[in-house]
Amino acid sequence: MTSYVIIGGSAAGISCCEAIRDVDEKGPITLISDEKASLYSRCLLTYLIGGKIDKERLLFKDKDFYKTKNIEALHGVKAVSIDIKKKEIDLDNKKSVKFDKLLIATGASSKRLNIPGGDKKGVFGLRDIIDAEGIMSMLDNVDTAVILGGGLIGLRDAYALKLRGKKVKVIVKSPQVLSQIVDKDAAFIIEKKLAQEGIEVMKGLAATRIDGNDSVTGVTLDDKSKLSCQMVIIGKGVQPNRGLADGTGIKVEDGIIVDNRLQTSVKDIYAAGDVAQAPDITTGGLKINAVWPVAIEQGKIAGLNMAGRDTVYDGSNMMNSTDFFGLAVISIGITKPKESVYEELKYSDRETNTYKKVVLRDNIICGAVLVNKVVNAGVYGVLIAKKVDCTPIKDILLSDNFDYAKILPIVKGFPDKFNKPEFKETVMSI
Amino acid sequence: MKEESKRSIDKASQQMIDKAAKEKVKLSWDRLEDMEPQCGFGQLGICCRNCTMGPCRIDPFGEGPQKAVCGADVDTIVARNLLRHIAVGAAAHSDHGRDVAHTLLLASEGKAHDYEIKDVEKLKKIAGYYEIKTDGKKKEELAREVAEASLADFGRQEGEIKFANRAPAKRVELWRKLGIMPRGIDREIVECLHRTHMGVDNDYKNILLHGLRTSLGDGWGGSMIATELQDIFFATPEPIRGKVNLGVLKEDLVNIVVHGHEPILSEMAVKASQDPELLEMAKKSGAKGINLVGMCCTANEILMRHGVPVAGNFLQQELAIMTGAVEVMMVDVQCIMPALKDIASCFHTQIITTSPKAKFPGVTHIEFKEEKAYEVAKSIIKMAVDNFKKRKKERVDIPKEEMDLVAGFSAEVIHHILGGRFRATYRPLNDAIISGRLRGVAGVVGCNNPHVKHDWAHLELVKELIRSDVLVLQTGCSAIACAKAGLMKPEAGFKYAGYGLREICEAVGIPPVLHLGSCVDNSRILIAATEIIKEGGLGDDLSCLPAAGAAPEWMSEKAITIGMYFVASGVFTVFNPPQPILGSKNVSDLVCSKLKDLVGGYFAFESNPKKMAKLMINHIDKKRKELNLKPVMYKPIIVKT
Amino acid sequence: MKKIFCDITKCVGCKGCEIACAVEHSKAKGLSAALKERPLPKRRVKVSSSDKKILSIHCQHCADAPCILACMSGALSKEKESGKTVHDKDRCVGCWMCIMACPFGAIVRNIEDHIAVKCDLCPDREDFACVRACPTGALFVGTEEEFKKILKKKTHV
Repeated sequence: MTSYVIIGGSAAGISCCEAIRDVDEKGPITLISDEKASLYSRCLLTYLIGGKIDKERLLFKDKDFYKTKNIEALHGVKAVSIDIKKKEIDLDNKKSVKFDKLLIATGASSKRLNIPGGDKKGVFGLRDIIDAEGIMSMLDNVDTAVILGGGLIGLRDAYALKLRGKKVKVIVKSPQVLSQIVDKDAAFIIEKKLAQEGIEVMKGLAATRIDGNDSVTGVTLDDKSKLSCQMVIIGKGVQPNRGLADGTGIKVEDGIIVDNRLQTSVKDIYAAGDVAQAPDITTGGLKINAVWPVAIEQGKIAGLNMAGRDTVYDGSNMMNSTDFFGLAVISIGITKPKESVYEELKYSDRETNTYKKVVLRDNIICGAVLVNKVVNAGVYGVLIAKKVDCTPIKDILLSDNFDYAKILPIVKGFPDKFNKPEFKETVMSI
Repeated sequence: MKEESKRSIDKASQQMIDKAAKEKVKLSWDRLEDMEPQCGFGQLGICCRNCTMGPCRIDPFGEGPQKAVCGADVDTIVARNLLRHIAVGAAAHSDHGRDVAHTLLLASEGKAHDYEIKDVEKLKKIAGYYEIKTDGKKKEELAREVAEASLADFGRQEGEIKFANRAPAKRVELWRKLGIMPRGIDREIVECLHRTHMGVDNDYKNILLHGLRTSLGDGWGGSMIATELQDIFFATPEPIRGKVNLGVLKEDLVNIVVHGHEPILSEMAVKASQDPELLEMAKKSGAKGINLVGMCCTANEILMRHGVPVAGNFLQQELAIMTGAVEVMMVDVQCIMPALKDIASCFHTQIITTSPKAKFPGVTHIEFKEEKAYEVAKSIIKMAVDNFKKRKKERVDIPKEEMDLVAGFSAEVIHHILGGRFRATYRPLNDAIISGRLRGVAGVVGCNNPHVKHDWAHLELVKELIRSDVLVLQTGCSAIACAKAGLMKPEAGFKYAGYGLREICEAVGIPPVLHLGSCVDNSRILIAATEIIKEGGLGDDLSCLPAAGAAPEWMSEKAITIGMYFVASGVFTVFNPPQPILGSKNVSDLVCSKLKDLVGGYFAFESNPKKMAKLMINHIDKKRKELNLKPVMYKPIIVKT
Repeated sequence: MKKIFCDITKCVGCKGCEIACAVEHSKAKGLSAALKERPLPKRRVKVSSSDKKILSIHCQHCADAPCILACMSGALSKEKESGKTVHDKDRCVGCWMCIMACPFGAIVRNIEDHIAVKCDLCPDREDFACVRACPTGALFVGTEEEFKKILKKKTHV
């Protein structure tokens, strides 16, 4: 009987457990998580802070998930080290666990800021439920919050606090928000929306220190100006929690390197989720795509392989979907190409807050940005994933009428790529 | 509930529906089931096929296209479609009127010698409306001039159609002010078609106003000409006893059903059915005689003047054949289901078409010619007699239901019966309304529709009205529905009418529900209403009257046009099902509310007959209040069922 | 699993399925009354075409459903017995991850309620509103095998 150990209890870890159980009903599974809380969705934390959901609804699986799946879950326990030879993991409670197959799904942590004052009361990152509870416990005493960082996390934090009626200022170093995932045209619309809703985005600026005694009283910026605030949230992105792999011989670059079966350089040890540097479809290289759907899929494929069902991972794309005050934003793949080999098709209507962009290389779609009119985003997504020549439909890619029907000839024409039964069923009658 | 009782409340019909189910014959109800769910775009009136840039449809839920290829919005599309419906309805009635006028012309010239002019009094009266001098003229001469004058109204290019001036002066002034006085009957219909051509009239309000004008050309034109000239030919109806429902078909007689709308040929068929030569033949074939009965409005026409039995209304046309006892169904125009051919093919029944305008592939066609009308009628009756031998006795099931009724209440008759022949007057009727003995008057008309349980809405509505002392005037298939339920027996007043209406019924000896004729005879309701205004005491315009209209089971485009001329004449009118306009909020608002400010009348759509009655009664009560009339004398009675 | 298929050669693009779907997902379940509801009921099926081939686009209830993988709130899940991909509107937070993931574009936004909506295979009735509404028989309910058989029969004729 194969024994499984999963380190990490979020998207990739839980998805891995489910996949293992789909194949192997008996093999003992031990899940180790340094978090006390279990089965909650990190992505929902800003919804919790914003008051859109209660704590109950943070769960993305049934409460009795571990029980029904027969999983021994050790929460609040930290894995300290891995002995790849003995196939054993030392825990911080002095115990150790043996494994036949291991998944490292330790995720990522908020990047810290190396500026003075970062340790004051009222300074937060928002990564886990403890951060969220800390933020919520302080809300009554906060009039103004300053968010450091205009990435997705920063803006989601800003949105949540605005929903709570706080004054919110976002400090962004770059000349636009969301510079990692959308271009400046899309950012323009998003910034306009945020401004309309009362979120002040201050671009081209960075914090040099956080002011106050014990508690935060303000932020000093690199133009020497001072902002008064009672809370600072650092939204500067995340870094992978790859420390466990250090010194074990498991190959590590930005994250833990995995192959197209999510296996690390060491046999029987797999990695998935925000810690894994895995095949990326659009670049063809290895990349960390630290987003929920990717973590779930990687966890699942890792789990299948761990349980003995050989499953190839086609790779992932960077993809993000979010919504600010009803303005939907989706970005997939390469959205800000730098080289001239890429071609960009754009449609923009600032009146209706609509923006669409498709990025192509040799008539193969490798990225898309959609603002407001996001329906059919997944149709672009599948074209990006399947890397098919889109010449016949190139001139309608940005049309409002673009949808799955428009790609039927492509689906029909590339049966090897569109090989899932559902694709076949749609073209079966023609 | 058994299937047949879901489809009709009429016992005779239920029996035949049941028989059809057992014999696996498909009826309209079955075909409706096959067709369901029906197209929502069509129901809402939001598809346009007027040009081949289309077809175009507006998404009623707002997610898909909101403009047609040409740029027409939902209001324009809905209004244009409605206007086309109005044009068709007006065309149907008016073409009927034209044929009568044409026959009158032929008869006056001695070319249609089977016809005679029976009602000279009416001829003179009508000549008066056309400003034709009657002194010293022979009736043929006068008939020719009247026929020519009425034909001229069809083709009139300028001015006003004559009969529209019969409306109360205030109403005529309003029509002129709004620019909806019809200029010529045909012209307005043609203009409907022009306006709805791609890229012509795009203003839904302007489109609808023309719809009102076109409908007035029907109600005060084509239909009224049909009614009046038919009266000249075949006599103005007077109260007459008759029988109604499928039970009028007889096992031992040669049964001929005349179905459709025009009395021109069926009048001859009535005569031919009594031809001694044919009766002799019938006896030789083993029948005891010849039984000519009517269906739909043809039935109403010959019932009103001859007391010819009525086999049923619109949804019973298939059921009559299902009895297995019909030798010939002779049809002319309008409301003749193409399905008749299929059902007839299951039996020995022969369908015979007679109008060059209305043929069926594979069905015997014996064309009607005015010049040899009797000969044609006789040859058709003869075919029926011949066909009697082919009847299969074992397949004959005739429901026993047949109901007595009194029909024949023309506008003139209401004069006479209320006031007596020598002092004809509407005074007693006006006084009854003024004193509160009668609450008011309602016109309940229209078709059957398998979307509504057969006859149910007609009956529920009419019962509700009469128990509340509203005198109900009826035409068409609605009249037949109530007749079958016994509401047109004089004694019906005792059972169903409120105390006030009951007193009137007793005093005058009329039923609480009056049969005014076929669907072109809705013009009789307009004339009766006008007479009430003229009599005085109830305002100076039709819109002042404590009156309302309803078509609770309508299906045909003619009904839309009828509704429109009722409304354009100032009458509040309730329809069920709704007109196909709900896709446009603006058009619906105009039709169901804002028209009131323009013409006084407007529509309501309501499917529950009790609520329908409530809407009508509320309107009548409002009008009573506006006229400062006394409160209604009696509370509505409660009828035990 | 039993699901809805569209025979592209039979679909004439009447959009009857769209209306029937919106009406089925209204409170009143009747066309004229549904039009008066606010927010307007949302359809979960869309008729579209390319190169004269017309398709009624539905949720395919994928065996390996990308929308479920993408859903971060646990709103989307697989109903084991039926194979249905079900959406729990109470758990949905409107992040549109599912829209990003669905290759068929079969999930749409309900902007008023800020949740995703998709084909739920008509839980309030025994048959399917769109299939019932289809006048040409282009929409078909059954298993993939049954659908194949139907198509085969057609080519033999």
